Amino acid sequence: MLATLESRTSTALAVQARDVVKIYGRDETTVRALDGATLQIEAGRFTAIMGPSGSGKSTMMHAMAGLDTIDSGQVLIGSTDITALGEKQRTLLRRERIGFVFQSFNLVPALTASENIALPLTLAGKRPDPAWMAELASVLGIEQRLTHRPHELSGGQQQRVAVARALIARPEVVFADEPTGNLDSRHGEALLGILRKAAHEMGQTIVMVTHDPSAASHVDRIVFLADGRVIDELEDPTVPAILSKMAHLEAPSTRIGE
Amino acid sequence: MFRLTIKQVLAQRLRLALTLLAVVLGVTFVTGSLVLTDTSQKLFDDQFRTATEGADFTVRSAAAFDSAMGVEVERDPLPHALLERVAGVDGVATAAPVAKGQGLLEFDGDAIVPAGASLLTTWVPEPLGAFSLRAGTAPNSPDEVVIDVATANAHGITVGDTVTVRAEEARPLTVVGLVGFGSADGLPNSTVAITTLASAQHLLGLGDGFSDIMVVKTDAAGPDFETTLTSALGASYEAASSRDLATASADAAKGSLEYLQIMLLALAAASLLIGAFLIANTFSIVITQRTRELAVLRAAGATSAQLLRSVLGEALLVGITASVAGVGLGIAAALGLRQVVGAFGVPLPDGDVSVTPRTIAISLVIGIVVTLVSALAPARRAASVSPIAAMRDNTAGGASLGRARTAGGAITAVAGVAAVVTVVAGAPVALLGLGAVLTIVGLTLLGPVIMPPLARVVGRPLHVLGVPGQLAAESAARAPRRTASTTMALALGLTLIMFVTIVASSVKDSIASTYKEVISADYVVESARGEMLGGLPPMVHHHLSQLDEVAVASRLQYGHWRYGTSVRALTAIDPDTIGEVASVDMVKGALADVAAGGVVVSEQVADDLGLDVGDEIPMTFARTGEQQMEIVGLIDDQDAQALSTDYLISLGTYAKVYTETMDASVFLRTAPGVSAAEAHSAITNALADFPTAEVRDQAAAISGRTMAVDQILGLVTVLLMLALTIALLGITNTLALSVIERTREIGLLRSVGMVRSQLRALVQAEAVLVAVLAVILGTALGTGFGVATVVALGQSGPLSLNLPISQLLLLMALTAAAGLVAGILPARRASNLNELAAIAQG
Ligand SMILES: Nc1ncnc2c1ncn2[C@@H]1O[C@H](COP(=O)(O)OP(=O)(O)OP(=O)(O)O)[C@@H](O)[C@H]1O
Ligand SMILES: [Mg+2]
Repeated sequence: MLATLESRTSTALAVQARDVVKIYGRDETTVRALDGATLQIEAGRFTAIMGPSGSGKSTMMHAMAGLDTIDSGQVLIGSTDITALGEKQRTLLRRERIGFVFQSFNLVPALTASENIALPLTLAGKRPDPAWMAELASVLGIEQRLTHRPHELSGGQQQRVAVARALIARPEVVFADEPTGNLDSRHGEALLGILRKAAHEMGQTIVMVTHDPSAASHVDRIVFLADGRVIDELEDPTVPAILSKMAHLEAPSTRIGE
Repeated sequence: MFRLTIKQVLAQRLRLALTLLAVVLGVTFVTGSLVLTDTSQKLFDDQFRTATEGADFTVRSAAAFDSAMGVEVERDPLPHALLERVAGVDGVATAAPVAKGQGLLEFDGDAIVPAGASLLTTWVPEPLGAFSLRAGTAPNSPDEVVIDVATANAHGITVGDTVTVRAEEARPLTVVGLVGFGSADGLPNSTVAITTLASAQHLLGLGDGFSDIMVVKTDAAGPDFETTLTSALGASYEAASSRDLATASADAAKGSLEYLQIMLLALAAASLLIGAFLIANTFSIVITQRTRELAVLRAAGATSAQLLRSVLGEALLVGITASVAGVGLGIAAALGLRQVVGAFGVPLPDGDVSVTPRTIAISLVIGIVVTLVSALAPARRAASVSPIAAMRDNTAGGASLGRARTAGGAITAVAGVAAVVTVVAGAPVALLGLGAVLTIVGLTLLGPVIMPPLARVVGRPLHVLGVPGQLAAESAARAPRRTASTTMALALGLTLIMFVTIVASSVKDSIASTYKEVISADYVVESARGEMLGGLPPMVHHHLSQLDEVAVASRLQYGHWRYGTSVRALTAIDPDTIGEVASVDMVKGALADVAAGGVVVSEQVADDLGLDVGDEIPMTFARTGEQQMEIVGLIDDQDAQALSTDYLISLGTYAKVYTETMDASVFLRTAPGVSAAEAHSAITNALADFPTAEVRDQAAAISGRTMAVDQILGLVTVLLMLALTIALLGITNTLALSVIERTREIGLLRSVGMVRSQLRALVQAEAVLVAVLAVILGTALGTGFGVATVVALGQSGPLSLNLPISQLLLLMALTAAAGLVAGILPARRASNLNELAAIAQG
């Protein structure tokens, strides 16, 4: 299986994670959240990370996005080794080269939607490109909402604003941790459609963590995690294919209850 | 998860500590003030009880009243013959004559000038006398003296040394012994010199007379001994029981502490009020943080009343804990407070602190009640949390602010401002306090409404900092209650400081300009010790008037008298010479008219009493009782102030009604053709034998007169700074809590690329914004009240406005800068938050 992964090096790689180990806690209570995970994200594709609860999906995503440090291994964004970067450089890297969408609480309550969208740029002292902002707003269907504050928006609208923010700086990678987790299926579908469009039409690299097989069926490729390791993957997934893979993974999940 | 739990517990502890702090500091202040004044009073009681313990009665000249303005009245000496008469009264076992008064000690050529009295008295052996020999022997011959251990230690005087005692006469004496006073080494802030009776009489210029006679009765003396003694003495003399005497003396001494106690308690109240804002704030932040938890409880069936009780229960717990801590700290702080008060020229007796149950009870009750009352509004808010609040995710900008509250606040504030304005327009000054209170209450109610727009406007310049600045201003604007109460707390402190600064500066300025206008003397000689009635021996004036370099030497004396039950002061002037050293404006009559025995009063007094020239005013003097004095002239108020009092009599009249011989001031006009340097050195030489006499030019004389204002201003400012510190801690407190409250937002900002320095800037900017809002509010209120007070008082007395602009600007800048400092800790906290905390909470 690793052979398959490495055979694809011809495609440009947006993110490479090698033997990543992340240990939480100390002494008796240590948890190896990531236990030698190796994974590559190809540029311009929509990739999903799946796995049982507690398998290390979020941890993996945080490690790849430079949100958290790792205990050993290596993570490259493009050709930048982020494990070698200091805290401040990682922050600047996030600001310029990475976008985020979280499950909830994606927006700063004090700022309007457009201010929230522009945040990564304004933090860097730059102004957003108005044409790009307008295009994002129209693609995401939030043109009428730009002057509203987050509490005046529905959950789905909030998530779309968050997607716009993730895309505004034209980052190399967008990470999304269960972005549809708080949305009903209709709004969830719509958001996934937007993400898919961003990948396919704008060439945006997107990595999404999800539990939901139907959400995962929108992506180009799924990487499966269990016990902190990458154990499988699936190209151009369909719901039945995902379900059968997951059935295999969940089976031994009794040992996951740490 | 585990890490989060720890964090929450830590957050809880921090929150608790900060709430406690606000209560603790307030209670500490209250307890400290009470303990300090109690202690001082008890020390005075003990001191005077010890002083009179040995005798049953003290015989002295009769007086209409015993003390005025904290000073015991001067009494005529007793004639020598009275001793035999007293000794002969049935039931008298011992009659010990005492001569006592002021006697300055000099050692090694230097005068020892204590903050309090320089006591010179007669040796009376124990147990009748209050002093006990600690070393050496009692004074036996006229050239021997014993002094107190404390003074001896402080100045390295040992038995065998020679000291000079200077009263009416001066004489070198050999120290033959050292004494203590009860268990103490001496009297507080005083020096004690004890000689033989003859020596004391000589030094004090009493001839063969006495100051008083201490009487011990025989065991056989019956209950009517006092009557027997009194009737044997006749009307000119009185016998005071020692207990009464001790009480009276202690009361006199305590009287001088009254203003201090009022001031300290007022300041304690101010700091408690500031504390109350912070307590309310902390609780309301906590309630906001716990909205979801409370909603879950409500959904699970908890009633509003139960929630109310649970929050008030927490407040009660905080109140009790903090009050207990505050009482403990306050007792410890009392000694420090004594140092502070002492540093500003208010000497208090030294000794062990006395803590009364009353102090503890009052402090505890105040602390607990203030906490509960402050927590009431947040508690009611908690009780009104609806069960569906649990389901809402983003709690919007803030619960609606009651329209009734806004309207009430607006009406109250407008009424308050109107009251202040009417006072400026001429209404009674008493309205001012009401106006100030109404304005502050109104603004407090309105605070949450006016803060958001104000914060946005004032926070505008912060936008140059980019997103952090914008978010800081927004954050302040979006938490109206939090911002309002933090701001009000600081603004109140600043209001008080600015108010006292403006009033004090105006008072000082008026004193100075009045003095400059009225007093034309080239020099004035005054006692450096600032005794209430002046402390220049008569020889000072005598020597000065003999100088060739001096053309005119005109002296002033002060005295106390009573008008009905109120104590007043008067100034005695020399009608012949006063015109040469002062240019006095008279409204009616001439100042020189007092020579005939009448009194000149200020125009203001004449108005108040409804009297005019030709009318009589009843004046009660301690020695001579009530006397009708004819008003012979009205003096301009300002000019009266320059001569220190509203009542002027002649030195001749003074000598008839007082025995006091000390002069308060001697005004000098130098002879023509004499240079300032020559005059100054001649005067200084003439004063060589009077170590406490000081020659002052105009500037020094003015600063001598404004010293009391400076001291009070200094003390009040230092204590208010404490209150201000509490308010600044409030900013720290509030921001630290708001950082916790905004963990997720901070995490989000960090993950989308906000660097630590930007986050620190965000928190610091909010701290500075709150401080600047407080500066704006405090300056407006403080200046408004200060100006109104001065203008209002200026309508009825010689007072004109003087705005100490640079001082006020400095205060404003300091406060704003302090905001920056207050933000450091929460800023550091915020920047150390793990960005993952936000996501983990999601
Ligand atoms: N801050 C932390 N401290 C200690 N252990 C942690 C921490 N964060 C995660 N873990 C542990 O690391 C492991 C991986 O967690 P992670 O959040 O990556 O799982 P996940 O796959 O995202 O699960 P889920 O699908 O439930 O979101 C789990 O066992 C979790 O308990
Ligand atoms: Mg997860």
